[in-house]
Order: sequence, then C-alpha cells, then structure tokens
Amino acid sequence: MKNNRLTIAAQAVKSNRQLMAGCIGVLALLVLMIAAPLISTEDPTIYGPDVLNGLGENGHILGTNHLGQDVYSMIIYGVRTSVKVAVISAMISGILGVLIGGAAGFLGGKVDVIISEIINVFMMLPTFFLILLIVALFGNSLTNVMIVIGITTWPGNAKLMRAQALSLRERVFVKSAEAMGETKRQILFKYIIPNGIFPVIANTTLGMANAILTEAGLSFLGLGDPSIISWGQMIYAGKQYITSAWWICAFSGIAIIIAVLIFYMLGDGLNKVMDPRYNKRRA
Amino acid sequence: MKRFICRRLITGILTIFIVFVLNFLLIQAAPGSPVTTLMGKENHDPEIRAMLEEKYGFDKPVIVQLGRQLEMLFHGDLGDSIIQNRPVGEMIAEKLGPTIVLGLTSALLALIIGTLLGVMAARKEGKPVDMVVSGTQYVFSAMPQFWLGLMLIILFSSNLDIFPSYGMTDARADHTGINYVIDVLYHMCLPAITLTLTLIPQYFKIAKSSVLQVTNEEFIQTFKAAGMPVKQIFRKYILRNAILPTVTIFGISMAYLLTGVMLIEIVFAWPGMGRLMMTAINQRDYPTLIGINLIMAISVAVVMLLVDIIYAKLDPRIRYE
Repeated sequence: MKNNRLTIAAQAVKSNRQLMAGCIGVLALLVLMIAAPLISTEDPTIYGPDVLNGLGENGHILGTNHLGQDVYSMIIYGVRTSVKVAVISAMISGILGVLIGGAAGFLGGKVDVIISEIINVFMMLPTFFLILLIVALFGNSLTNVMIVIGITTWPGNAKLMRAQALSLRERVFVKSAEAMGETKRQILFKYIIPNGIFPVIANTTLGMANAILTEAGLSFLGLGDPSIISWGQMIYAGKQYITSAWWICAFSGIAIIIAVLIFYMLGDGLNKVMDPRYNKRRA
Repeated sequence: MKRFICRRLITGILTIFIVFVLNFLLIQAAPGSPVTTLMGKENHDPEIRAMLEEKYGFDKPVIVQLGRQLEMLFHGDLGDSIIQNRPVGEMIAEKLGPTIVLGLTSALLALIIGTLLGVMAARKEGKPVDMVVSGTQYVFSAMPQFWLGLMLIILFSSNLDIFPSYGMTDARADHTGINYVIDVLYHMCLPAITLTLTLIPQYFKIAKSSVLQVTNEEFIQTFKAAGMPVKQIFRKYILRNAILPTVTIFGISMAYLLTGVMLIEIVFAWPGMGRLMMTAINQRDYPTLIGINLIMAISVAVVMLLVDIIYAKLDPRIRYE
C-alpha cells in the first residue's frame, strides 16, 4: 500500500515540470541548510578586515559588506533563516487553517456562520500592517516574526479546508461513520481532515514563499531579528551603500527570488497535479 | 442586490471595527506603557506620571478607554501623535496625496499592461512568446518590490543618471504650474515603474487563465464548429467573459498594493504615508502607527466593497450565496 502511494507520488512529480523543479529546488535548499559550513568560504558572523571589497577581491567571491562580512557566506547561511521562517510560519498557518476551517465546514450551523465571517474579515485585513504593528510592539525576534506571520495568514487555508469539509461531510463514508456512532471529533480527524487536506498543502507551500517575502519586507523596514543573518537584513544594511557596493543588495535579493520561486513552483506544481482536470487533459 | 450590498457593507464595517479593537488590545498588551515613553528614561516623578495618565485617560478601566477611543474615532479623531504632539489625522491627510498618486498610477498601468500581456499570452499559448512572457512574469512575482526599486536606482540613477532616485520634486528648483507637474512626473518615473512591474504579474496571471478557461468552454467550441471567424469569437465572447475576473483582482490586491506603495516610498524617499510609517516605527509612535493601520483598513474595505458591487453589476451570475 505504502509502496504503491510512493510510486503514485513519484509519477506525479515526473509528470509536471514545475513540481519536479520545485522538488529539486527544495532538496537543494535542504543541502545548503545542512552543509552551510562546508559550502561557505568563511564564518559569516566574523567581522573581517576587508571592508566593502568588490567581487572576487581578497578571495571574497561576492565581495564583503561594510562590516567586513563575506557576502557569499552570509547568503549561504541566510538559507537557514529563510527556510526556517517559511516552514514554521506556514506550518502554524496551515494547522490553524485546517482545524478552524475543518471544524467550521463539518459542524456547520452557527459555528460555521461565525467562523466564515471571521475569515471574510481577515481576508479584508491589510495583513502586512498588522504583522508590522505586532512586531514593532512586541519585539523583533525571529520567533515573534514567525508566529505572527502564522497567525495572520491562516484564513486562506481555513477557507479552502472549509470548502473541502462542506463537500466531504455529505459523502457516504462520512455518513456511515456517523451512523456507526463515531464521535464528531473522531470523524473530523479520521475522515474529514485526511481527505480534504491536499489543497491546503499546496496553498501552504505558496504561503511559505509569501512568508519569505514578508520576512524580507519586515527586515527591510528595520524590524528583522538583529541577531541572525537574513537576506532581508542584508538588503536593509546594504541600502546605504548601493552606489558604492551594489553587490550586497543585489545578490541577497537574487537569493530571495530563487528561494521564493522554488516554493512557488512546488505549490503551483502540486495544485496542477491535484487538479482533476489536469489528469483528464493529459489522458 | 440590496441584500448583497448590505451584507458586504456589514462585513466591511465589522472589519474596520475589528482592526480598531485589535489595535487597541495590542497596544494594551504590549510591554511598556506610552506614559513611560512620554516621561523619558530619567524621570520617575509620580506626580507627572499621574498627571499624564489622567490627561490620556490611562487611569480608567480598559473598557472605558476603548469606549472613549471609539467615540473619538466616530468623530473622525484619530488621537494625537505622542512624538510630534499633532493630530494623527492631520499628519496622515498631508501624506495621503502623494501615496494615492503613486499607488493609483501604478495600479492602473499594471492593470492595463498586465491584462493585455495576459490576453496575448493566452492567444499564443505554448508558443515561444508565451513562454518568455510567462516566465518573466513568474520571476517578477517572486521579486521583493523594494529590492527591484534598489536595483533600478543602481541602474538608472547611479550608472545611467537618467532618473532621479529620491523625492517627489527637485528641492533646488521652485517650479509652479505645468513645470511642477512635469517635475513630479519625472520624479515618479522610477517608483512607478518599480511598482507597476511588481503588480503586473497578478493581472497577467488572472487574465491569461481566464481567457484560457473561457476558450475551452463548450459554447465557444460550438461557435468554432459552426464556422464563426476566430477573431469575432474572441472579441465578442471570450474577451468579455475573461475580463471580469480582473475587476475582482483589483479589489483583492488593494492590501498588497498598499504594502507595495509603502515599501517603495521608503526606497525612493517619496513623501507619502510610507515614510510617515517608517518614522513612526523608528520613534515607536504608536498612535500614528494605529492611525495609519486604521486608514489602510478603511481604504481596503471601501475599495473591496466598491469592487464587489461593480462586479455584481457587471456579471449578473454572481450573487452572494
């Protein structure tokens, strides 16, 4: 059974170029995260004597910043921050969305009305400013940033999960489980969520990309965590030197684009593969 | 239709109310009190503290404070900035103009260019043109807006020296009349280009996918089978049906647009709300931050409401529930 599922998954990955590229990209990011000390040329936290060196100067592949840190090594270590922010905040958002949306769609009635209205309200909120306010008020540690991104982006996931739960609860296997006397909680966790979670997974992947962009935006406003290395903060710090040392901003931005693209491709690929029309068109 | 507008209106008002209460509670829960900020670090005089607390109403229960603030909001009063000691509403009103000019210009440009590109890409689906355009759009959608702005400054301002990189007007020249407008437009080039480029992808994406979707519908296939000229089908049926979703995107993307405008304003020192926000963050001027947040929420709610109504008018199939 499990083997069978794996082959189906492998086939799906092979059938879609976007998904394939996304998977390879995520693997590459993981390798960079684990092997960062091996791949980087220097310790990015060390303030070296070479200040604002250009490309290739004194062995610094992508130059150095105003404090003498090696830009190339900073970018490699920055993968850790970005992936961490992406995965943890998207997980929080995904779990909240699945639980809240699943409960709303499955339970129906008043619960559904109230939760749906909350989702509608949240969809209208300018989330970035809410995140910004919270981070400005409660301190700009990375943990805060991740939690805040997570708890402000769940409504999108909840909306998807709710729609799934609404259609699933009318299905025969859920009805029969109900007739067998299983409790509502059992049904929700055993049947509704496992069967309806796939669109949420694809959406969560896209959420990861947006989390990276949000973290970069916050860092650019000076609200990043100062004790870690992040691409957004490299741009923030390099902003003052764009006329004399363009490489600080330029390459960290390219790193952001690549990481975001990887998660976009993964999410879009998953969406396409899971779309029933996709398989029909190919057949 | 009336019921639909009513429901949307209620959601909109609810949103603004929730933003307000959320802001209020956040400030309450935040570590440190504004009074301490006002008093400065070295001052611990309890008399001054009591006086300030009374002046701003901090000595009253939370619920009373909330009520007072709501009442103030109802009268259009957003409170005073604790740093500049001026009404927040006044400060925002001063900066609103430049933000709207920049944001609206870019959004409209992006809407037009993005939709045109999307329709074109859909017509040439799978051909090299489509691949190149779609690929470029994909990369642009993954780009942090402020970064693109910085790159354009490097390219056009410091290397080519074509466009100015900061401000809205030339501080040394004192233009009036038509020259003033030209000067502003000239200074707006780079920020507007940056913003437009990053806003195009969403219009492109929606235009392309909806044209493709309509093209595959059965009634279009029927027209084709009946021998109607492709150009006529496209103009009369596909385009009309496919343009509709871009209207909704315009509303949904309001929040994204505002975020973008703010960040871009900071990059280009554009004298709008973004810079006001940046100073407020740096000075921890909470009333100003809340005021900006509230204005944002209100404008997003209003635009989304308008867009929903326009959409419902344009497409009779769409109804609430």
